[in-house]
Amino acid sequence: MQKEEIIKIVNRALVKEFELDESLLTPEADFVSLGLDSLDAVDMVITLEQAFKVDIRNNYKVGDFGSLGGLYDFIEKLIKQKNNV
Amino acid sequence: MANNRVVITGVGVVSPFGAGVETLVRNLLECKSGITVYEELKSIPSITSFTAGTAPEIDFSFIPRQYRRSMTKMSMFAIMASIEALKSAKYETAPEGTALYIGSTISSMKAWIDFAEKYINKHLEQVKTTAVFQVMNHSPLANLSQSLNIKGPGFGVCNACATGLVNIGLAYQAVKAGLIKSALCGGTDEYHPMMTGCFSIMNAASNQYNDAPSKASRPFDIKRGGIVCSEGSGMIYIESLENALERGADILAEIAGFATNTETKSISHPSSESIIDCMSLALQNADIKPDNIDLINAHATSTVAGDAEEAVSIAKVFGLKPKVNSLKGHLGHTMAASGSIELIAIIKMMLCGKIAPTLNLEEIDPACSGISHITKTQDISINTFMKNSFALGGTNASMVIRRYVK
Repeated sequence: MQKEEIIKIVNRALVKEFELDESLLTPEADFVSLGLDSLDAVDMVITLEQAFKVDIRNNYKVGDFGSLGGLYDFIEKLIKQKNNV
Repeated sequence: MANNRVVITGVGVVSPFGAGVETLVRNLLECKSGITVYEELKSIPSITSFTAGTAPEIDFSFIPRQYRRSMTKMSMFAIMASIEALKSAKYETAPEGTALYIGSTISSMKAWIDFAEKYINKHLEQVKTTAVFQVMNHSPLANLSQSLNIKGPGFGVCNACATGLVNIGLAYQAVKAGLIKSALCGGTDEYHPMMTGCFSIMNAASNQYNDAPSKASRPFDIKRGGIVCSEGSGMIYIESLENALERGADILAEIAGFATNTETKSISHPSSESIIDCMSLALQNADIKPDNIDLINAHATSTVAGDAEEAVSIAKVFGLKPKVNSLKGHLGHTMAASGSIELIAIIKMMLCGKIAPTLNLEEIDPACSGISHITKTQDISINTFMKNSFALGGTNASMVIRRYVK
């Protein structure tokens, strides 16, 4: 899966789940500034696991991503790992 | 202990007619029905009742997402009704110290089914955090206090279909005793086909008028065949008379008395003995005689046994003097919200001098005779009325309301 497609899927999922304004979804945007809290963080993991069919919660370590750009990279890494397996 | 007079200064409703008290009362007085065919019911073989009273689609996007995410429809109905109640009490936001009394019959069936489906299929990891807050028994209480920033004491009392009236009654007792100054109180419920399923199991769901849904709920009528389940919320703002006068509030009515008791003979059917006891206790609490009651707004849900038992009880205590109606012919049974929605409707009718009939009461069942049924909208002067609300599981509740006089 190309990075552009990952970004598109992540953004689409976040807009739908959290009613975010798509124009705010830049790689620099952090989750707090987007108005997301700890409950949203858990629900975001569930949403993205379903969207990409990857296991995020058991592969995630604190600090893996703090911004949206980091999240795109993290998902890309998981997809690559999954494909290699 | 204080002995405050307790008055109603704000009311708000979501009903099968939509949002708003005026919409509700207009439709009731025009003898409209809020009941339609609910298509999904036809797909469940063991359910033979296909009718329900659902609220029209409402845009709830005015509730910020961070609050809305933990809500199902029942909480959103309650918020809409509460905002209307506060506005009509001349408040933009609930004043400090406002207590909350609100419940539903059970929490959202839809949320529980979604949750249980994932659990049964061993996919608990797919359950979102907000689902937990949607299935809590006191979900409407929690959501209402969060979204409207109401910090006063909160009680999520659930007494099945008597929930709305019991919550108003408990709030009334607390204001009367001086434990609290004011409260937002009532009931809320959202429709799910399982609700009809529950009554269908007990052969108590209306199934003779599936092709004519507006005729399906017909309290006291000889052709009645059971309940039509529906949804909505009724919320009332109450306060001590002293508080209302001090701030110059418009007083809609006074709560004169309340009683609740528990049926112990049957978990499903209230007996005439316990209904009589409950109504008599409410009269006693209001310190008035049966002759002082001008109207009884019955619980009457259109079941064969329940309507007859209530009619016999009313006849024994009151005879023919008070007029009697049930609004469930129009609304169906709005479950936990029925007591509060119907109470609000009758207060408004008392104030405008026009009383809606029991819709679809075309031929009075002899088992429901001996009382003065209202069969068409009438100009009637009401000073004092009684509202009944009963529940599966044995809870009865009766409240006496009177026109406010200094």
